[in-house]
Amino acid sequence: MKTKLDEINRNIYDIKNKDDYDFKIKKGLTPEIIEEISKQKNDPDWMRNFRLKALETYNKLPMPTWGPDLSELNMDEIATYVRPKTKMTGNWEDVPEDIKNTFDKLGIPEAEKKSLAGVGAQYDSEVVYHSMKEELLSQGVIYTDMETAVREYPDIVKEHFMKCVPVTDHKFVALHGAVWSGGSFVYVPKNVKVEVPLQSYFRLNSPESGQFEHTLIIVDEGASLHFIEGCSAPKYNKVNLHAGCVELYVKDGAYLRYSTIENWSKNMLNLNTKKAIIGKNAEVDWVSGSFGSKISMLYPMSILNGEGARTEYTGISFAGKGQNLDTGFKVIHNSKNTSSLVNSKSISKNGGTATYRALVRINENAKGSKCNVSCESLMLDDISRSDTIPVNDIRTDEVEFSHEAKIGKISDKSIFYLMSRGLSEEDAKAMIVRGFADPISKELPIEYAAEMNNLINLELQGSIG
Amino acid sequence: MILNETPIRTAKNYEINNINIVDFNLPKTIKKFEGLNISGNLDKVSIKEEKISSNLKYGNGEDLLQQIQNSSNINLHIIIPDETEKEVELEFNLSEKNENLVDDILIEAKENAKGTIIIKYISDLKGKFYHNGQIRVLSQNNSNLNVILLNMLNNKTENYISIDNTLEKSSSVKYTIVDFGGKNSITNYYTNLKGENSNNDISTIYLGAEEQILDLNYIVEVYGKKANVNINLKGAIKDNAKKHFKGTIDFKKNCKKAKGNENEYCTILSDTAKSISLPMLLCTEEDVEGNHGTASGKVDENQLFYLMTRGLSLKEAQKLIVRGQFNEIIEGISNEDIQNMIIRQIENKL
Repeated sequence: MKTKLDEINRNIYDIKNKDDYDFKIKKGLTPEIIEEISKQKNDPDWMRNFRLKALETYNKLPMPTWGPDLSELNMDEIATYVRPKTKMTGNWEDVPEDIKNTFDKLGIPEAEKKSLAGVGAQYDSEVVYHSMKEELLSQGVIYTDMETAVREYPDIVKEHFMKCVPVTDHKFVALHGAVWSGGSFVYVPKNVKVEVPLQSYFRLNSPESGQFEHTLIIVDEGASLHFIEGCSAPKYNKVNLHAGCVELYVKDGAYLRYSTIENWSKNMLNLNTKKAIIGKNAEVDWVSGSFGSKISMLYPMSILNGEGARTEYTGISFAGKGQNLDTGFKVIHNSKNTSSLVNSKSISKNGGTATYRALVRINENAKGSKCNVSCESLMLDDISRSDTIPVNDIRTDEVEFSHEAKIGKISDKSIFYLMSRGLSEEDAKAMIVRGFADPISKELPIEYAAEMNNLINLELQGSIG
Repeated sequence: MILNETPIRTAKNYEINNINIVDFNLPKTIKKFEGLNISGNLDKVSIKEEKISSNLKYGNGEDLLQQIQNSSNINLHIIIPDETEKEVELEFNLSEKNENLVDDILIEAKENAKGTIIIKYISDLKGKFYHNGQIRVLSQNNSNLNVILLNMLNNKTENYISIDNTLEKSSSVKYTIVDFGGKNSITNYYTNLKGENSNNDISTIYLGAEEQILDLNYIVEVYGKKANVNINLKGAIKDNAKKHFKGTIDFKKNCKKAKGNENEYCTILSDTAKSISLPMLLCTEEDVEGNHGTASGKVDENQLFYLMTRGLSLKEAQKLIVRGQFNEIIEGISNEDIQNMIIRQIENKL
């Protein structure tokens, strides 16, 4: 019995605009190119020096010898900085027509009106639109693009920028440090609860280029925030590269929910890095949907540094034809009585490869900690691949740790049961796949219908058969 | 010496892709080994002292495999011919007189054959000895083989073992592995579940104490339709012991209706002992069922409390609970002498 599932309908995401830019750096990666990016971006001296040092680190670090094959990536063929023909604006009407149309079709302004407290939209290497509700401004919340933050909040940026994710972490973080551009900066003051989510949307239009946005979020003591990021790009024949970096500082007693719906085009190498440092009794919940890209290597990480810190990861990946999605979660328990809960699901079909790769480390000083990991993989045909590669590193005795994983196809018994209740075989299968994805999709904000609903509920429902 | 590479690598800084043995050099000369005692139903089994070379798919690294190839001091070719029940015990005793053992054991279970092979590595309590061995099993159609492998070497001895099994149609090989001894105890276990309906059960108990390092790399490749693999480990570590368990079940294309289960439970008895596990499921066939579970933690407090209210000391209570966890696997061994030997070792080590 075979389950046929169409690829996700990418019509909306594949809208290509003319590669019309204000400035595009020449391809490759040299100190001169980095100097030029820095000049174009009007960096302060410290940032220019930071970029050059990061390039040195990039040149020293080896390519990863594990995970998907990245040999098709040739940095000499990638333009690392593309400035769109517009300045950042706080007024949607001021965004140039073609860019505005793209974001309109992706449902971004609609979502802002209905359910968001603030929106940032990045097109290629620069943020083109940023806005936030007045009431948050008056509470002292800062939500702006990273360049403005470097200019206007230099001390706070210097203190935090690439300290959580140092450039020595791996080669693509070093690359990011050298060529980063765009992204969002959020600061939520002590005890301020941001009830409605903020969202940044990243769109890469330019072919043979890269996007390297930097997201820096600081949620101060007792504050809370829900942040959503979405990403997409139209498909080109040659490789595009995304090597963003997300740094989250969640102070004592604070809460952050970080949701991502990633739907890059299938020529994209998505080598993104995300890390959170979590204080005493604070919590970070990650919700992650990986659907697009040709290759993804994405392993968000929580470092539970404060006593009683908590984290949850809820993730789904959906690997179709030609895709190799290597995703998972890393957590370091680094203080007493910390806890983590991981729930990961993956679906592979039409020759796609889905890998769950993870790390749980419970350090010597993390007595009384608990960790529970569950991962399930569903294969929808016999030409796909699904691997589970979790490392569990337990360095003390007073812990409760458990990990379980399952791999397999849709059970014939379940299909039979549903068919005996009057459903057609196709409807039965569709219901089971939706049910499989449901624990993840229900974690996303319901109002945020623009992408996730398109991607999971509607597309799966309509296309099985 | 870099050993025990996993079939698929993960990030280098997770320190699990392989193990680097830094404080040990291979002995240059391997003298004759005279510490082997063979017993059991010897009239029903053919045991020849002969070397039959073949390459292992994985094994414990080139240097150690080369040493077995070129300088082994024990070569045994065991043939189990038919379905009459039989049990053979090989006891290797390392001592000052026989300090280095490099053994190559080939076990062939012929069609419909049944048998149990007990392989025991023991040593004097004092002395630094060396064991590097390989066990190859060829299990023909419908054969049924039990292998009981006991590592009871002292904690100063180096222990390296490579296992390579090929299972034909409807054959079954059950391994019971007791991994208690050795300063570095490095096991590379590989099974090729080649035949339809073939079955491989692996039940392991391990104990690590003092500065012991246990590195267990189990790889089972599933090719046959309706093939079945169960990997079940129970262990305890204390003091500064380190345990690395890497378990891979690899469902290959067309192994339809195959099933694989992998479970490990590690009890941690000190706050300086370290347990790393990497239970991998790899899958290129849709129509399979694969599950794995691992858990680690200290001894259950309620059980401890209960036993201590009955007058047991903390150590005695811990010992009893660990023994209880191992019980199912120990009871699966039909030979009572072996059972008693394992229980005595648990007493001594804990």
